Amino acid sequence: MFFHIVLERNMQLHPRYFGRNLRDHLVTKLMKDVEGTCSGRHGFVVAITGIESVGKGLIRDGTGFVTFPVKYQCIVFRPFKGEILEAVVTMVNKMGFFAEAGPVQMFVSNHLIPDDMEFQSGDVPNYTTSDGSVKIQKDSEVRLKIIGTRVDATEIFCIGTIKDDFLGVINDPATI
Amino acid sequence: MSEKGGKGFSASAAKPPKAPSFPPSASSSGLEDGSVKSKKRGRKPKKTPEVQAVRSDAEAVPSPQFGGKGDNLFSKGMLGKGVMGEKTASAPKAPSPKEPIPLVLNVESELPNNTKCLMDSEAAQILEVIQEQMVALSEDPAIKIPVSFDRGLQYSKTNNNYSDPSAVRSVIETLAAHGVSEGEMCVIANVCPETTDEVFALVPSLKGKKIALTKPLNQVLSEVAKLRNTV
Repeated sequence: MFFHIVLERNMQLHPRYFGRNLRDHLVTKLMKDVEGTCSGRHGFVVAITGIESVGKGLIRDGTGFVTFPVKYQCIVFRPFKGEILEAVVTMVNKMGFFAEAGPVQMFVSNHLIPDDMEFQSGDVPNYTTSDGSVKIQKDSEVRLKIIGTRVDATEIFCIGTIKDDFLGVINDPATI
Repeated sequence: MSEKGGKGFSASAAKPPKAPSFPPSASSSGLEDGSVKSKKRGRKPKKTPEVQAVRSDAEAVPSPQFGGKGDNLFSKGMLGKGVMGEKTASAPKAPSPKEPIPLVLNVESELPNNTKCLMDSEAAQILEVIQEQMVALSEDPAIKIPVSFDRGLQYSKTNNNYSDPSAVRSVIETLAAHGVSEGEMCVIANVCPETTDEVFALVPSLKGKKIALTKPLNQVLSEVAKLRNTV
């Protein structure tokens, strides 16, 4: 889910940037530093939407760098346990399938795929029901529920399930 | 406890049959707690060193005998490893009874207060504006558009079910009066369920309020369905 959130960060700026454009430099550096990062608490910082305030700078002893506390608004994307997401399947194998929802990667193990869906190997590996009416393959869109998350320094990885009511394929590329 | 476990452990090196009976207690008290959930109870910091000490004990005790019986030590070493393996194997089992896995969406408690949940369509609206600005900024080689921005934008676009997110928000916020949290409202809006049954299946935390919620939810769903994009 996306969130709009206010975060704070201490930005260190080199003295060469001091001048009329100090604020611009701060914002540029903030964007460079923060956008695309990921933390367990806040998730992926997708984009900065605004600067709330730039506090008073503090000169660091011995270096000449100045630290500014910057409060900024940003849009973050964080998956939650229990959340329902619509994800695009990226890879299918006999262990299950991988899917992607925005910047988040997910895995659905074959234990969490309905029992009536069987793995079919071949050029396009897929999970298919016995009557062939439902098929999960690469680029299928599935609605899944997140049951677990693992946070890395640079990415969030989720375990999902489609073994529940109202979950499963919502859009099959083969039928379009 | 851990000392006993420890003795059991060193004893287990001597008496193989006893080995399996001790490890679970040792694992639950010493190994797992000490290493995995380090700072929750006060007793742990004491325990890990003890266990380590005991372990080094266990290694130290056989060494005097080592000179004579190399085979024996090897088998003991193996045994010790076996016990360790058992410990680690039994470790994941221990916490599972404590957690009944209530898959309840707990958005508010996990994020700071100054947070607003966004529906995908709202996010898409904001991100599209930012993308336009990014195009201007992208001439500056110092600024790279991060991958997660593109992915986030793409995701929000594909899940952009409503052309007028603010109208959807005003409709769906009527549910707040019935005790639906912001996170739950956003999930409902993102998923576009057709029936109340679907809502209760997907957001189990609302099941408790099923009777009170069915009627207002029906109204909201029919309103939201009207606002939905027809693609």
